[in-house]
Amino acid sequence: MPSSPSNTVARLTGVTKAYAGRPVVKSFDFALQAGAVTALLGPNGAGKSTVAGLMTGRLAADAGEIALFDLDPRDAEARARMGVMLQAAGLPESLCVAEAINLQAGYFKRRLKTKDILEQAGLTALAKRRCYKLSGGEQRRVQFALAIAGNPDFLVLDEPTTGFDADARRAMWRTVRAKAEGGAAVLLATHHMDEAEALADRIVVIAEGRIIADGPPAAIKAKVAGSTIRFRTALATAHLKMLPAVSKVDQVGADTALLSTDARVTLEALFSADPSLTQFEVAAASLEDALADIIANTVKEAA
Amino acid sequence: MSALVAAAPGVYVREASAEIIKSARMPQFAIPTIVLPPAFYALFALGMGRGDVEMATHTLATFGVYAVMGPALFGFGANVASERETGQLELKRLSPMPAGAHITAKLIATMIFSAIAIGLVYALAIYAGVRLSTQQWATLATVQILAVIPFALIGLGLGYRLGLKAAIAIVNILFLGLAVMGGLWMPIAVLPEFIQTMAWGLPSYHLGEMALMVVGRSDAANVWLHAGPLALITIAAAIFAWTGQGRHAA
Repeated sequence: MPSSPSNTVARLTGVTKAYAGRPVVKSFDFALQAGAVTALLGPNGAGKSTVAGLMTGRLAADAGEIALFDLDPRDAEARARMGVMLQAAGLPESLCVAEAINLQAGYFKRRLKTKDILEQAGLTALAKRRCYKLSGGEQRRVQFALAIAGNPDFLVLDEPTTGFDADARRAMWRTVRAKAEGGAAVLLATHHMDEAEALADRIVVIAEGRIIADGPPAAIKAKVAGSTIRFRTALATAHLKMLPAVSKVDQVGADTALLSTDARVTLEALFSADPSLTQFEVAAASLEDALADIIANTVKEAA
Repeated sequence: MSALVAAAPGVYVREASAEIIKSARMPQFAIPTIVLPPAFYALFALGMGRGDVEMATHTLATFGVYAVMGPALFGFGANVASERETGQLELKRLSPMPAGAHITAKLIATMIFSAIAIGLVYALAIYAGVRLSTQQWATLATVQILAVIPFALIGLGLGYRLGLKAAIAIVNILFLGLAVMGGLWMPIAVLPEFIQTMAWGLPSYHLGEMALMVVGRSDAANVWLHAGPLALITIAAAIFAWTGQGRHAA
C-alpha cells in the first residue's frame, strides 16, 4: 500500500522547483518522521530553505507531490499542526513579547499557555519588553516562541540560533530535543555542523538541489572513514599531497592538517619524510570534514 | 468545526485589538491621524473663516474625508509594506489564521481611529455654529467612515508591491494629490479646468461631493453621478489589492 506509515509527517515525492529558470531543487524525494530531529545540511544556496519552504507550503512546487499530514501543506488543518521559524522575520515592533506570543498562539486550538511558551523559549524575564527593544538574539528567541506556540507536530527551524551566545544556544537545543522526544517532527535547516551534530537524529546533506547523503550523524561521518592529522612541518604542501592515503591538505594558521583515509600508513610516511615535525595531533575526522569531502566528490562526479 | 484551528470570531477580535494597540503605541501614526485633522479644521474653518458658518459647513464635509484618507493610506500602504518586507505577513500566512483576518482587523482599527478624528472635527464644527439634523450627522459619519475602504484598498495594493521606503514616498504624494486635486482643501471650482476633469477619476473627489450633498452644499439629485464612478474606482482598487497579494519580499 503506497500510503505513508503513521509516523511519516511530511513527504516530498519527485519535487522540482526552479527560480527564474534555474533549478534549485531537483526531483527530490524526502520523508520526515515524527519524534526525530532531521537536519538539512549543505552549503549556502544548496536549497535548504527552498526544501523547507516547499514542505511548509510557503512555496509551490513546479512538479511532484507534497503532503503534510497527508494533506496539502496549505490546508488550514495541516497549518494548525505546524510551527515555523523563518530564516529572517521581523516582529510586531510595538507589541510586547507576551502580546506577540499570545496573538500567534490564539490561532491554534491546541495552543500552549503563554507562560509555558515564555519559559520554554527562555523569555520569561523579557515578557513585558516591547519587541523593538530586543537584541538580534532575543528576537530570534521570540520567533522560536512563535513557532512552538501552537504546540506543533511539525516544527520547522531555519537557521534558528544565528546571533546566539553559547548559553542561549544550548538552552534552545534542549527545548528542541524535548519537542522531538515529545513526538514532534523537527526539520532543522542549518549550516552549523556542531548544531546538526548536537541536535539531529538524522542528517540529510544537500548540494545543488539534490540529496547526496542521508543517515544518522555517525553514518555520515563514517562516509569518510578517516582521520585528521595536525602538526607543524617544514614540508611543502605539494610534497604532503603525495603522501599515501592523503585526501586533503589544509593550512590552519601555523599548523598543517591532513585528511587521511588510513592514518597509520600516512603517519609512517610522514615521519620518515620529516622526523622533526612538532605539535602532533590525530583525531577522527569531524562532520565538517566529512561534509566537505562528500560535497567535493559529488561536484567532481557531476563535472 | 475544526479540532485544531481556533474559532474565527475569537481570532478576529484578538487580531483587531492587536492592531489597535499597535497603532495607538505608534505616536508617528496616532498623532497625525487623530490630531492633525481637527487642528487643520480649526485653522481653516475657525481661524480663517472667522465665524463664517457656510464655510465651516463646507469644510466639515471635505475635511472629514481628508481625515480618514491619511490613516487608510498610511496604515495600509506603509504598514503592510513593512510587515511584508520583514516577513510578518509570511508568518501569518503559514499559520492557520483565517485568510483575511489580518486585513479585516486593520480595517476595523483604521475605522476606529478615523471615527475619533472625525468626532473631534464634528465637535469643532458644532462649536463653530454648524447645525445639522441627527440624520445628517449620522449619514455624514457613515459616508466618511466608509470612505476608509477605497483608500485602504489603494494603500493595500501599494503595500503588497512596494518596499517600505518607496511605499511611504508614494503614499505621501498620493495623499497630497488626492486631497488637493479632489477638492478637499479648497473647492474644486477654483482649480484649473484640467484638474476638474481629472478629479472624476479620484475617489476623494466623489466622496467629498457626496459628503457635501449630506450637508446640503451640493445637489443630492446628482448622487449617482458620484456613487457610480466611486463604485467603479473601488472595484478597480479591490482588483489592484487582490492581484498584489501573495508577493513576498525576495
